[in-house]
Amino acid sequence: MLKEMFKKNDLTSAGRKQVQLGGKIKESLDEAQIPDGLFEKCDKCNEIVYSEDVVSNYYICPNCGMYFRISPRTRLSMILDKESFQEWDKELPVSDPLNFPGYKQKLEHLKVVTNLDEAVITGEGKINDTPVAIGVMASNFLMGSMGEVVGEKLTRMVEKATKRKLPVIIFCCSGGARMQEGIISLMQMAKTAQALKKHDEAGLLYVSVLTDPTTGGVMASFAMLGDVILAEPGALIGFAGPRVIEQTIGQRLPEGFQKAEFLLEHGFVDKIVKRNKLKQTLSMLVKSC
Amino acid sequence: MIENKYKIKKVLIANRGEIAVRIIRACREMGISTVAICSEADKDALHAQLADETVCIGPAPAKDSYLKMDRIISATCATGADAIHPGFGFLSENSKFADLCRKCNITFIGPSSEVIAKMGNKAEARKTMMDAGVPVVPGTKEPVYTAEDGKKLADNMGYPVMIKASAGGGGKGMRIVEREEAFNKHFETASQEAKNAFGDDTMYIEKYIPRARHIEFQILADNYGNVIHLGERDCSIQRRHQKMIEEAPSFAISEVLRKEMGEVAVRAAKAARYTNAGTIEFILDQDDNYYFIEMNTRIQVEHGVTELVTGIDLIKEQLKVASGEPLSISQEAVKIRGHAIECRINAENPLNNFLPSPGLITSLHFPGGNGVRIDSALYNGYKIPAAYDSLIVKLMVHDANRELAIQKMRGVLGELVIEGIDTNIDFQYQIINHDDYKKGDIDTGFIERLINKKEVPENIS
Repeated sequence: MLKEMFKKNDLTSAGRKQVQLGGKIKESLDEAQIPDGLFEKCDKCNEIVYSEDVVSNYYICPNCGMYFRISPRTRLSMILDKESFQEWDKELPVSDPLNFPGYKQKLEHLKVVTNLDEAVITGEGKINDTPVAIGVMASNFLMGSMGEVVGEKLTRMVEKATKRKLPVIIFCCSGGARMQEGIISLMQMAKTAQALKKHDEAGLLYVSVLTDPTTGGVMASFAMLGDVILAEPGALIGFAGPRVIEQTIGQRLPEGFQKAEFLLEHGFVDKIVKRNKLKQTLSMLVKSC
Repeated sequence: MIENKYKIKKVLIANRGEIAVRIIRACREMGISTVAICSEADKDALHAQLADETVCIGPAPAKDSYLKMDRIISATCATGADAIHPGFGFLSENSKFADLCRKCNITFIGPSSEVIAKMGNKAEARKTMMDAGVPVVPGTKEPVYTAEDGKKLADNMGYPVMIKASAGGGGKGMRIVEREEAFNKHFETASQEAKNAFGDDTMYIEKYIPRARHIEFQILADNYGNVIHLGERDCSIQRRHQKMIEEAPSFAISEVLRKEMGEVAVRAAKAARYTNAGTIEFILDQDDNYYFIEMNTRIQVEHGVTELVTGIDLIKEQLKVASGEPLSISQEAVKIRGHAIECRINAENPLNNFLPSPGLITSLHFPGGNGVRIDSALYNGYKIPAAYDSLIVKLMVHDANRELAIQKMRGVLGELVIEGIDTNIDFQYQIINHDDYKKGDIDTGFIERLINKKEVPENIS
């Protein structure tokens, strides 16, 4: 064994020590340091992954394949042809029907932090040269919850699409109806549904894409009304949360309950599409009508 | 205490085994502090014991330790190292890692990330060389994606051809196609192998040159555009595209050809905007035509034979270049003296299809003497872990000419004792004593023929 046998101190100025990984705080700019955001941690496998790898892999963990949640603008850049997106209905007036304490301030703060004006972006664009009307919900804006502005933006988008005979694609992502706006939020379920009905009666195509998570009032309204319902792998899709269900029915839930794959098996979802194949799948669907 | 006058003060060696030991030794000679990284299986390894500091970065499998970029970078920052030497293999030709080092203000001892990426893409490298007027193996200029396209080009070129993976290395994704009928099948298997091994099934096709010699030129370039070559190495003794014996200079090359190929090698390196140490690989056919195959953007296993014939310490030169020093050696000052041979000693059993043979070393004796150099991380009582490649000793000799070098190598192979595991020492002995090897009549098919004919060493005298 050679442990601790070598004399080192007389050759270099460094002493011998075992080092724990943890990182020192660096003062000088000359020194080696890891800039913020270079690496991130995957919540599923707990591995440290290189952010650039995540981005170039469609925001999927290169280690375990978990789908990271993505912002609406990132999603639009993945789906639509370059520079084809035109946003609609930006900056609709804030709705606070219950004068909910702290709500307005929360919204103002979120607008700054997320650079979004609400939990959905709507507009028109092209997928492989076919014009579509599109809405993408934002999980980072109050968990994609649907209040009056979200409902209004989606409804206006669908109505415009009906008028201009465009297919509609909605990327659903939501924790459900927005509590702070009370019954007005619930009403959006009916509002969006009836707009989609008129769109449907005009013989137009509506594809909904369920992403992680799609729950509550959104799932119980427009999300499940697609002529074709697609889902991303591993997405949580359900109405009530699993704990509430378990407590209500007094039974343990089956393995994989409320995951996209479970819903596919039980006929609630038409197809699970990998993120890198979404554009070509949507392209095929909109071109076929 | 040795005074360190270079910009780099502390190097983390992102490797293991004998190359890590080599780099640590060079650093100590320059007064540069060293940090070793080790997996849990390597805590008792020589490199981990020899360095000034050691950081354990994960469990035994390379993908969980020596390939874990974030942990290596973390260890570098935590220990205050300002540079990383990647050695060879592992992350040494990983352009993403080189880029990561740059982003974290760590000096990567090697060329830039862009150069690594460009030369690492074999099809791109060929194109760069063609544009620079460097002769390349006749073959496709653009990458090939389908068997159909490939076959058209191959039919045009004339058989036999070699199908190669653009992202390839170590013999994977490579198939020789002798006849037209076999092309499609070989293309499919080669591209599938490439996809599995490298995640990239872009292929290219080259004319296959039978009975060729593998000649590579050592390049050294600083960050200021100065590029020199340090002569060639003949690495024709290969088994399944893995080198077994290397020597410098090459028996097959005249002074005139050496000068010409050397100039072309420098031109190639300049075309690639190369910095630090690297190797330009050529293939030499029976008519003395030479063709560029690829560029290795790292220090190589066999760099020692070049050091022996030139007297230049390549690892130290790498550290100096990375420190921002201009080259202190001019091309004229590079002199090749005598002949050097390296035999790679692997922990494997040649009688059992070269199956790796890890385990405990029960008895170890290294030879020595004038012109004998041993690069190894072995020591008495060391347990060779199973998780890594099987190279355990680089046995090198240097003497006045090739004949004397071969004689010396015979003596050295005879004196080397490694007990407790299987090694290829006897196999190397057979090759060194083979008439064709002594005559210098060798090409890249030498070992396969030896194995196929089951040549018994009746000619050991």
